[in-house]
Amino acid sequence: MDATSSNPNGLFNRSTKGLITDPVEFQVEAGRISFFAETLGERNPIHHDRAAAQAAGHPDVVAPPTFAIVVDLETGRALERQGKPSVLARIGCDYRRLLHGEERYDYHGAIHAGDRLSITTEVLGFEDKKGGALELAHLRSEIRHPERGLLVSITRSLVHRLA
Amino acid sequence: MTDLTTAQPGDRLPPVAFGRITRQILALYAGASGDHNPVHVDLDFARKAGLDDVFAHGMLSMGVLARVVTGWAGQDRVVSVSNRFMAITPVGANLTCSGEVAERLDIGGVPHLRVALAADVTLDDGRTARTLAGEALVRAD
Repeated sequence: MDATSSNPNGLFNRSTKGLITDPVEFQVEAGRISFFAETLGERNPIHHDRAAAQAAGHPDVVAPPTFAIVVDLETGRALERQGKPSVLARIGCDYRRLLHGEERYDYHGAIHAGDRLSITTEVLGFEDKKGGALELAHLRSEIRHPERGLLVSITRSLVHRLA
Repeated sequence: MTDLTTAQPGDRLPPVAFGRITRQILALYAGASGDHNPVHVDLDFARKAGLDDVFAHGMLSMGVLARVVTGWAGQDRVVSVSNRFMAITPVGANLTCSGEVAERLDIGGVPHLRVALAADVTLDDGRTARTLAGEALVRAD
């Protein structure tokens, strides 16, 4: 994760190392949770039906574990609607060359329909691999609830294929 | 929900056979997840990027991978899930996700299980590939 190493073909904006974004808010809706779960083939009613979720001890339908990606990507798009760059735009992602390297979720609490969440992202750094054929960006995001605190942290590496 | 108090390394989790990843599934996942990267749904874009075809969102497979854990342990017990993306998933691939208990461990006096996870695909021509290799940590009290 040495930001000072330079790759002449690199596309990531390495000057963004250390950037921590301002919080962006996201309103969790039951329909979005259900739609997301459905596309994963997940039929557990705690993701689709409020009464079933409540019977299982939850206040409302529960987001599946990887729903954090929805919070992340939709807040990025909300910024773009306001004419502001998303984190992915700020670090210089080129979708023609972009691959996903690694993804990790650490859970501290569940996300439920009705939650008003906020997300921040830190640009941890950049890295060259395979003799410069690949460049990696390392990011960490935190999803928080105003009363319940940190719910999920996301650690991610994104990859540009340069060769 | 499974009784995890007696789970041991080597125990296999019930696999999740997702089936064929169609273009329609990729379109729906793009909308549901908010990942609108055109390389997953727009063949014109993929070809301009030098690819033969679109390929599946890695996060679609990770979502199915997490189902292996939640279906076995219950979501409330899941502490973390992580994976490396080893290879792209071509459209039309058949996806199966699996897991196996790797280790029992004690964290702060609470029993936990570390679970090794894998996503594997079979293509129409019979070729197979491991697309994700991951792990999860679950509470086993």
